[in-house]
Amino acid sequence: MVGKKKTFVYILLVIWTIINLFPIYFMFTFSLKGNDEIFGENVVGLPRHWLWSNYTSALGTGNMALYFFNSLLVTAVSIAISIMAAMMATYALTRIKWKLSKLTTAFFMLGLTIPLQASIVPVYVVLSRLHMLNKYSTLIVPYSAFTLSMSILICTGFMVDIPYDLDEAAIIDGCGLFGTFFKIIMPLMKPALSTIGIYAYLQCWNEFMFANVFISDAKHRTLPVGIKALSGAYTTDWGPIGAALVIATFPTLITYVALSRKIQDSFIAGAVKG
Amino acid sequence: MERDKSALQQKRNKDLKKGLAIFLFLLPGLLLFVSILIAPIVVSLYTSLLDWNGNTKGTFIGLANYTELFTNGSIKFMISLKNSLILALFSVFIQLPLALLLALILGRKPKGERFYLTVFFMPVLISTVVIGQLWLKIYNPDYGILNRFLGAIHLENLQHIWVGDPKTALGSIVVPTIWQYVGYHMLLMYAGVKGVSPDLREAAMIDGATKWQTDRFIVIPIIKPIIRVSVIFAVTGSLKTYDLVRILTDGGPYQTTEVPSTLLENMLFLRNRYGMGSTISVMLIALCFAFALLISAAFKEKDK
Amino acid sequence: MEKKRLVSMLLAGVMTLSLVGCGDTASAPAAGDNGGAATTEAGADAGADTAAADAGASDGPISLSMWCIATESDSNRKSYEKAIEDMKTNHPDVTLTWEAFENESYKTKIKAAVSANEMPDIFFTWSCAFLGDFVNAGKVYCLDEAYENYKNELPEAMLKNTTYDGKHYGVPLTMNIVGLFANMDLLKEAGYDEIPGTYEEFIKCCDALKAKKIVPFGCAGKETWCVTEYLESIIEKSAGASTLDAIFAGTDTWNNQDVADSVDTFQKLIKDGYFDPSGIGLSNDEVKANFIAGKYAFYMNGTWNCADFANDANFLPKVKVGEFPVINADKSKLGQLIGGPSDTLAVSASSPNAARAADYTFELGKLICHYGYLDGCGLPAWTPYGDVSSVNPLTQAVADIVAKSDSMVLFGDTAMAADKAQTYLSYVDQVYGCQIDGKGFIEGLAKDIK
Repeated sequence: MVGKKKTFVYILLVIWTIINLFPIYFMFTFSLKGNDEIFGENVVGLPRHWLWSNYTSALGTGNMALYFFNSLLVTAVSIAISIMAAMMATYALTRIKWKLSKLTTAFFMLGLTIPLQASIVPVYVVLSRLHMLNKYSTLIVPYSAFTLSMSILICTGFMVDIPYDLDEAAIIDGCGLFGTFFKIIMPLMKPALSTIGIYAYLQCWNEFMFANVFISDAKHRTLPVGIKALSGAYTTDWGPIGAALVIATFPTLITYVALSRKIQDSFIAGAVKG
Repeated sequence: MERDKSALQQKRNKDLKKGLAIFLFLLPGLLLFVSILIAPIVVSLYTSLLDWNGNTKGTFIGLANYTELFTNGSIKFMISLKNSLILALFSVFIQLPLALLLALILGRKPKGERFYLTVFFMPVLISTVVIGQLWLKIYNPDYGILNRFLGAIHLENLQHIWVGDPKTALGSIVVPTIWQYVGYHMLLMYAGVKGVSPDLREAAMIDGATKWQTDRFIVIPIIKPIIRVSVIFAVTGSLKTYDLVRILTDGGPYQTTEVPSTLLENMLFLRNRYGMGSTISVMLIALCFAFALLISAAFKEKDK
Repeated sequence: MEKKRLVSMLLAGVMTLSLVGCGDTASAPAAGDNGGAATTEAGADAGADTAAADAGASDGPISLSMWCIATESDSNRKSYEKAIEDMKTNHPDVTLTWEAFENESYKTKIKAAVSANEMPDIFFTWSCAFLGDFVNAGKVYCLDEAYENYKNELPEAMLKNTTYDGKHYGVPLTMNIVGLFANMDLLKEAGYDEIPGTYEEFIKCCDALKAKKIVPFGCAGKETWCVTEYLESIIEKSAGASTLDAIFAGTDTWNNQDVADSVDTFQKLIKDGYFDPSGIGLSNDEVKANFIAGKYAFYMNGTWNCADFANDANFLPKVKVGEFPVINADKSKLGQLIGGPSDTLAVSASSPNAARAADYTFELGKLICHYGYLDGCGLPAWTPYGDVSSVNPLTQAVADIVAKSDSMVLFGDTAMAADKAQTYLSYVDQVYGCQIDGKGFIEGLAKDIK
């Protein structure tokens, strides 16, 4: 009986593993094939002729390297801003005693449910009137704002775990509130960084709607928009599209596999603290 | 008296300083939050009452946009709502149970726990646009592996023009959505499962409970807050769906797979109707909050 | 000789035929109510920009940017490349950076860019209402001054669809109509040597094709404009060109029984299985590829496709182009076509070098038109020059049809303003999906298009 159940559990795990890995494998193989193989007999096998030229097309005509860099830049800066703003806000909300702190926290938490789409019309109109479209900051500012609520939530989880005695000791030592924050609290929040980073990364790296609407020039396109553009240009040629998908995906996946334990632990920490 | 006064002064100074510090600490966050989220919503509330093309000033038309949203036969708002709700239903009743099941299984430390955890989380990291393109290739009626697979096992009658047939189009959006986010919810729930103290489990086992019973009566109640968060995320996430629809069906065939966000974008760029776009935004916000409150209330009700 | 005759015939035809356009009709009401302010603004904008341009004009090197839809898979790609190459040698002081976007997404993109004032110096646009929206918003540079230099090469009749309030805002490239392309190999299998001339014959032909297990029509449901190519032709050939034109222009109501009947006719074709059912999930590129591969007997689409068909040496001998037969001879007749000059280049009012960009655009447009005509991407809006004997037989056939035409109605989604066009496309979509019938179509449009 027990054996049977165990087998069932393992069968389930293995099936789900296959369902998860197969599309990724499929993407990798067709990125290296020509249409004759993809449309012909060799649909799911390893490529017979490894067509690296697909990658040259994706990187050359498709400009994927630039888009990758743009995504990286936008995501990294957004996360940095979000973390900094969140830490400062959380400090004021959790470690300084004042009347409206609870209410303000609740106010920030509204952001967890507000859909990104809600602000798109006015933000778009304002940005366009200010000639602020098609810049990196066009995406960075909204992304930092939209990740802020989650960042504050996670920060709170971490910050309340820091003993309050430390603050008192610091004040007695003559540190002001700012001193306490920068010298005592910030260094202790290091473990929170990766957790906030991961949640913010998931929100920013994949964001498509704002990027699609706010960025119209090729220079500032992020990966999702770049891939959409590329697939428009190569409607019937699958290879270069596959190559673009791999370029957009594999660096992240490889980093993730290499650091999987750390990343999972950070993610889990977020779930527990949040 | 003098001393009191100076003490008072000092206290006031201190309060002022504290207030200033609080203000300065909150400033960057508030600035971002208010300018990008709160202010636009307030503005949207107003512009949703305008007939406005974004360039001119716009004319006030009251609730006309709201009524047109439901009566104009070329704006498929009701259909888009229905689609979002279907997505939400599938997320809550298929994706989350699957995630929970996997989390519970992995919580029991099976062999290869880390490996499975790593693999199951992978799709979460892939950009939705990539997933959309990838599935588009899987669904391709002539060359896609899905139809080829069905052909190979002689189930030709099950072959479909997946994203082009109104009967299957929405389904072909649902599947990748579920696929992508099972890992996300699984890891959240797994975190909860891991947080259950081993003593509790052991105590239950000693009392003669099976593993499933332990999960059912000890673990699940403990991770309920996480499940609640997952449900809220899944439902509001479904209301916000955009990427996969844009890539896979673009709202078609015959606008049967439109979702509020794709309609919103069409209002801005295809129709130059910024007022109506705001109206859809407002409806979306209202729905998201309504569902979040509803779900929280439902969980509270159950707790009683 | 033969070719020269054709071209002159074509031109004569175009000059005289009533180019039914949006031009004045569509822009008139806009100018009436709120257009006034917008136009003044445009004037001010343009004025300022001209001044700026003049200041820096002299002859210093400048760089211009351009957006278009000539992607790698677009028929016009080669003519753009050649024209731009020529421009490089003719105008070494101008550096042009250009980018091409996929047709459907370009519509979103250019509208977004216009409202954001982030347009390139030169941009591709469709004429009539599409460009009209931008003109009304004061975002387009007036080309009247620059046009003076090109009057002899570009007939004013060709500017009709890009003229608003008597001012010219666009450089037309090619002129296209909806053609009925036929794969004659497949027709032969069904026992036909020619495209049937009457509607009854045409239906019989479709039945014969179906009996041979050949799909008569391919139509991309993913791109609604492809559906309109069919539907508009059917409406025109049932209700008449003037009726359809009046409806598009907004001077007549959609609530028209003839239109409803045409929709039912169209849906009968669908229900009788004349259309490839997998077409609903395909893009136009895919449908076109299928047609070339011999999957369909007929393909109704713009005559810009002549280029791609002509470039395929295997396919060219098989394909013929014709006119959709008349359905109701009381109201319509042969020679009533859908189309007109629509592909246009325009200059953005916010361009710092608008004046020079305008001259450049005329030169470039002339070359694109020239090469496009030689490649078969459509008929020239400009007076052809040089040796045009190499023009492919398909395009010559189109020239023949146009020369004999008596009126043209511009594509509906170009003729109508954005919101109306979307409403219209949405209903066309529902018609193709057989979700509404003719009655639902006319009533819905009458209600939702105000």
